[in-house]
Amino acid sequence: MRSIFYLLDAAPYGSEKAFGLLNAAIVSLAKGGVTVGLYGDGAYLALAGQNSKPLGMPNLADLIYAYLDIKVVAHEPSLFERGLMGEALIELV
Amino acid sequence: MKTLTIVLTDGPYISEYADIAYKIARAALKHYQVNIFLYLDGVHVPKSGQKPAMFANIGELFEDLARDGATIRACIRCAAARGYRAKEDQSCQDYSEVIKITSIYELAEMLSLSDKVITLSR
Repeated sequence: MRSIFYLLDAAPYGSEKAFGLLNAAIVSLAKGGVTVGLYGDGAYLALAGQNSKPLGMPNLADLIYAYLDIKVVAHEPSLFERGLMGEALIELV
Repeated sequence: MKTLTIVLTDGPYISEYADIAYKIARAALKHYQVNIFLYLDGVHVPKSGQKPAMFANIGELFEDLARDGATIRACIRCAAARGYRAKEDQSCQDYSEVIKITSIYELAEMLSLSDKVITLSR
């Protein structure tokens, strides 16, 4: 395996999907290069200043900061369609 | 022999994915070593005692796959969250003995050794 690409197209806190995807990405780091693509509603994961405490869920942005070897890219049209282009994004994205 | 890994994140009946995974795996077993990693709600798939009135019994189909040579593993974090407890030998009293509960690192291992990977996830 040379590299692996995980595509997230679901919002970060509406389900277990984003958390599950990031966990899979983290364990895959030992096997090769890992890229996470944020597409559609997955683009919301790129937003800076996430606070998941009231939801009782882990802060997914912290996982991105904790595993710097994971390359995170966001689909620009998805950001644009959701009005996120003017928002502060996680600087690693 | 080449290796195919299927990652399944849906439980049985809520969508066609478990059924599609079964059909792909059944056909692939003729030519591939087949791995199936059950992730998120996918850990419900092998639960014993399913009695669907209108559908094929997905639990029994996956047990058949494992008996016919497929390696089927369920994520321990996802399984624990949903009430499936792994014993010391990685078996689970709610699953057939041929289907084990393992760490998600097993997924990374499967992916790294695979020639093809198919992810069935909504």
